[in-house]
Amino acid sequence: MAISLPPTAPVPDEHLLFDRSARTRWRIGFDRWVGRLLPLLFLVALVPIIDLVYFITVRAAPVLSVGNLTNTNPYANLNGNAMGVALAGTFYVMAIATAVAVLLGLFGGIATAEFLSERSAGWIRMTANMLAGTPSVVVGYFGYFAFVVYFGWGYSMIAGAITLAFFMVPYTFRTVDLAYSSIPRQIREAALGSGARPYQYILKIGTPIAFPQVLTGVFLAMAIGIGETAPIVLTTHTSLLLPSSVYSGVTFLTYLIYTGYSNAPGNNGLNQAFQAAFLIVVIVIALNIAVRIIAARYRKRLEGLFQ
Amino acid sequence: MSAAAPTPNGPVLTTEHLSVVAKKRRLLSDINLEFAPRSLTAVVGPSGCGKTTFVRSLNRMTELTPGLKVTGAVKYLGQDIYNPAVNPVLVRRRIGMVFQRPTVFPMSVFENAAFGLRLIHEDENEIDRAVTDALTRSGLWDEVKNDLDQPALSLSGGQQQRLCFARALAVRPRVLLMDEPTSALDPAATQRVEATMERLKQEIVLVLVTHNVGQAARVSDRVAFLHTGRLIEVGATADILERPREVLTEQFITGRFG
Repeated sequence: MAISLPPTAPVPDEHLLFDRSARTRWRIGFDRWVGRLLPLLFLVALVPIIDLVYFITVRAAPVLSVGNLTNTNPYANLNGNAMGVALAGTFYVMAIATAVAVLLGLFGGIATAEFLSERSAGWIRMTANMLAGTPSVVVGYFGYFAFVVYFGWGYSMIAGAITLAFFMVPYTFRTVDLAYSSIPRQIREAALGSGARPYQYILKIGTPIAFPQVLTGVFLAMAIGIGETAPIVLTTHTSLLLPSSVYSGVTFLTYLIYTGYSNAPGNNGLNQAFQAAFLIVVIVIALNIAVRIIAARYRKRLEGLFQ
Repeated sequence: MSAAAPTPNGPVLTTEHLSVVAKKRRLLSDINLEFAPRSLTAVVGPSGCGKTTFVRSLNRMTELTPGLKVTGAVKYLGQDIYNPAVNPVLVRRRIGMVFQRPTVFPMSVFENAAFGLRLIHEDENEIDRAVTDALTRSGLWDEVKNDLDQPALSLSGGQQQRLCFARALAVRPRVLLMDEPTSALDPAATQRVEATMERLKQEIVLVLVTHNVGQAARVSDRVAFLHTGRLIEVGATADILERPREVLTEQFITGRFG
């Protein structure tokens, strides 16, 4: 560890900008080692992710095929090949859950950011944080007793979708709230000062500025939702057939992972589980990449606004 | 409300016993001022004297700050803008405002200038004409006429501020409030904005908040000096700056505090 301090001082002592004390040497050396260590730690953190994706891909690749994705035959489904029913079920449940979560999050977030007093806004934010921190199995049981049993919908697409929406709402709500509250106060005042009504400000100025962040929140919420298992197990259960209405039972991708390990005999269940895991990983990665692209595209347009 | 028919040369805007109180603090005490048509009044005073609060209370922008309580009256052509029946949106269309920092919206130059007009659903030809007119009056037209579709955020700070003037002027306000509009600008941009003020004061009522006595001397007809929320002295610019009656005013303009 060679630290190059100049051998002789070119200036008188009172103008000297460095010293040769042990403490200085130690500081410079420490700084250098931390600088080398941090990228290494980053790699360490990366290992489990890479390992996970690799492991899933290797196990899913031999059994996955395009034909499997579109195969909705119930017998093939039992044999652990067909993914069509689960893919369709996941699509339907996610579509309804996202719609509900976006609607609630958008209205709740805008109301909290723009219209409510600091006091009530604080309460609502706290509630949303608590909801986000509730264990999924608890929300699952709530969905089971509320929708499956009390409303009498049975194990169904709609019961699963609304229960899943409970998980997604805190994320959509928080990003919407944050997106609208982080618009500079001066922009809001300028709009209202030009004679805009509050709703006109929200539609014409606020929403275009907040939009990329809102979309990010929606995609994040979808990524959260698609990985949930406990609420799905308790509310949609499973089905070998394509759903015929919102009250039909459906199979969600994570359900296949759950049963693949717990009670399916032989390799059929496991094959299906790895295919499902692979599809979820692909969807989550795609959502994250989409978020990046959208954020980058809009950042340029808003450059100079948040100075 | 009993609106006395406004006389052509009577004051456009009047404050009567105007006071503003924050939770524990009194920000403005008993301000009585009249603003005549085609005039520029500079409101000067040390930091924290209530200049900004004063100018914001003139078009109900104070309402956007929670916890402020306004008493007394601000009369626009005889109508108290704080009357509960008054629509604050209409108040802000008649009494426009330009802020300390340029606050352009992330859209084109044209759409920025047209913002206020779109809110009241004018037809396209009318908007085109009004935008051209507003950009001309704000002194920005020659610099942007070839590319009205460029994003407003790509303009320089001084151009952005003049675009804010245009946006405020497009809805043809009778009064324009300016809260330190040049404090974020360089000297050249400041000069152009001041030229804009000189032109506008031939047409409408201007109220300029500034911490810069030199600027007040250059552009205003009248100076009002505020100190700790009180109106200490008001008079013709030359009188206040050369022969102040109050000791506080004299100390302020000679730079002894502030």
